[in-house]
Amino acid sequence: MLEISNLHVHFDLNGTIVKALCGVALGVGPKETLAVAGESGSGKTVTALSVTRLLPSSARVTSGEIYFNGDDLLLLGEGALRKVRGKEIAYIFQEPGTFLNPVYTVGNQIMEPLLLHQGLSRAEAFAEALKLLALVRIKQGRRVFFSYPHQLSGGMNQRIGIAMSLACRPRLLIADEPTTALDVTTETEILDLLCELKSNFGFSLLFITHNLSIARRIADRICVMHKGFVVEEADTERIFSSPQHFHTKELIRAYQAIGTL
Amino acid sequence: MIIHAAHISKYFAVEGGMYKRRTGLVRALEDVSFSVRESSTLGIVGESGSGKTTLAKIVARLIAPSKGTVEFDLARINNFRKDVQIIFQNPYASLDPKMRIKEALYEPLLIHRLAAPRQLRDKALELLDIVEMGEDALVRFPAEFSGGQRQRICIARALATQPKCIILDEPLSSLDLTIQLKLLELLLRVKEKFRLTYLFISHNLSVIKYMADFVIVLQEGRIVEQGGMHELFSHPSHPYTASLLRSARR
Amino acid sequence: MAKSERAHTGMNKLLCTGIVIIGLLGALAILAPFISPYEPTLIDATSLLMPPSCAHPLGTDSLGRDLLSRIIYGARISLSIGIIAVGISLCIGVITGSIAGYFGGLADSVIMRSADIMLCFPTFFLILAVVAVLEPSIINIMVIIGLTSWMGIARLIRSEILSLKEREFIQAAKAIGASHMRIICRHLLPNALGPVFVNATLGIAGAILLESALSFLGLGVQPPVPSWGNILIESKATLGVAWWITLFPGLAIFVTILGFNFIAEGLRRQWDYNA
Repeated sequence: MLEISNLHVHFDLNGTIVKALCGVALGVGPKETLAVAGESGSGKTVTALSVTRLLPSSARVTSGEIYFNGDDLLLLGEGALRKVRGKEIAYIFQEPGTFLNPVYTVGNQIMEPLLLHQGLSRAEAFAEALKLLALVRIKQGRRVFFSYPHQLSGGMNQRIGIAMSLACRPRLLIADEPTTALDVTTETEILDLLCELKSNFGFSLLFITHNLSIARRIADRICVMHKGFVVEEADTERIFSSPQHFHTKELIRAYQAIGTL
Repeated sequence: MIIHAAHISKYFAVEGGMYKRRTGLVRALEDVSFSVRESSTLGIVGESGSGKTTLAKIVARLIAPSKGTVEFDLARINNFRKDVQIIFQNPYASLDPKMRIKEALYEPLLIHRLAAPRQLRDKALELLDIVEMGEDALVRFPAEFSGGQRQRICIARALATQPKCIILDEPLSSLDLTIQLKLLELLLRVKEKFRLTYLFISHNLSVIKYMADFVIVLQEGRIVEQGGMHELFSHPSHPYTASLLRSARR
Repeated sequence: MAKSERAHTGMNKLLCTGIVIIGLLGALAILAPFISPYEPTLIDATSLLMPPSCAHPLGTDSLGRDLLSRIIYGARISLSIGIIAVGISLCIGVITGSIAGYFGGLADSVIMRSADIMLCFPTFFLILAVVAVLEPSIINIMVIIGLTSWMGIARLIRSEILSLKEREFIQAAKAIGASHMRIICRHLLPNALGPVFVNATLGIAGAILLESALSFLGLGVQPPVPSWGNILIESKATLGVAWWITLFPGLAIFVTILGFNFIAEGLRRQWDYNA
């Protein structure tokens, strides 16, 4: 479904070139969960953002291909790409409080992709939005619909983020450390919710994390990155039973010491 | 016992309305008592809102308790600001953004007159060496360092006054697991070397298991269980502790 | 995106322009004795009210004094009054604002209420009243303006300190045993002074305007010492016949205020991007 090959990305910061990705290659099959694990600065987020070219203006993709259902996304024009974003490929980000616009109600924001991509009328979008809120297990959907992000908890906002991303039934969901800012019980709930939604809707999940215990719980395959390179990629169990690369072993060592009880 | 906390309670007034009347009371801590043995690590576990950070600040004498006292063994801890240090949760806010690292490290040395002006640089280099950072860090500003590196600098600053006890308030929260492990290993080495007592606060049970000898479990401002780490983790007696352990094990 | 990146790198154009203008002005003021063609108080009865010419590039006034020299020396007066007056208000404002913000409680109430009371008075009339009672001298003016403009700075500093006080690095400083004085001077103020620079720059412009107004009314710098304001005293009577006496001092005031405003706005933009 998603095939990234030989991706090179660098950032141009006022003359200094910083290499973010050096030949990254990975793939996500249909209905599969791939976890991309690595430390901060390993290039995981840059990889995720490159898929639909959401990188800041100082970033340049210098080579590589990103195939999504046969099309190379890097070759698509802005218009075509916008149709893909949100509709075929959706994102959820780390800080639920920041990707929600504080001056609009939550309901307004959920309706936005519906009105934009699916051309629903306002009444239809309203009904659909309430359905989405129920899907992500938010009780009192009407009350939440008319609330503002700052009135709701982090966990609630993250569920809304998930609801928004599912609005157009995407085929690929890219989640960038969605539970890092949440406390442990909420994290468990969000992860369970994601797994349930995935089995109901059948999308593929690309999950970025620095925490191997999360990867172990939800991923079919794990891809380990370090400083812009993919250092190892394998089925989850194989990564844990026989890690090959030094950095994979480092991640596992941390996981065993303090990532799990 | 180097620290003895007796019946600590802390209430915060909720002010509301035009005249800032007291409309309610937040009971952050309610009748908390515990003791810390010298050279041991006391782990304080709780979820957000349990009052752990408030307790840390009370023990560090940054805020005063509403009721109760925290007593220190005066034979061992006679100059409080020198002998007891605290490391905070947010490495991005714990260092003065306008001060170079060397100034941040010199400051405690100067305040407590632990080094003559000529020796300051050498002492600062020693401290950086303990936390495994190089001398090029001295002239830089905090903004040039990552979260993990800043925490190392905070540890170096805390060690500058040669303390007997360090309070660590969730020092690892915003860091990667691999960096967390490296910092914990450093903290253990330092504890061993300088024979320190730690008060380690965290919501992460695996970290507490890694670090603590004794554990206190806080729920909504009250201690629900306390005891040795191994016994508590293998045979919890309070249902809340048991549920925390269950969710951590999933 | 691109525009903000450009402003980010080094000083922006507004700031540069402002600095150039004020720099030139400062140079004029400092080098006054060397570059002014005549003594500013030199009366020349043969050249009364002469329009701009080669001998007198900006013309002469009704006593034959060269306008260019008077304006150059006037720069000295205006700039020094502006800078010292603001210096005084900075001192008072920073100290009171820090005490109010850091210690809170009674000190805070007393200081802030005093500031509120002073803000109630229309400053200009207060200054007029005081100057009418005391003799109008340069020092008096500097002190009066300084004493009546500390309130804005005090409020700024107080609110910055109130928000910085709760940050972890301040608590860390307390934890290592820093004294109150040390915390305020070494940690809080360097972080709080940012917005104050903008305020102070505008304050200098305001002080210069104030001094000009006072001198124009005869209550400021007294002739024969030249100040842009008191040169303008003559302009009332000579407006029809000697346009240069109105235009050039006015232009000088205008350009100076503009320069300071550019610096203030440039600084503000700089800080907004860097903060």
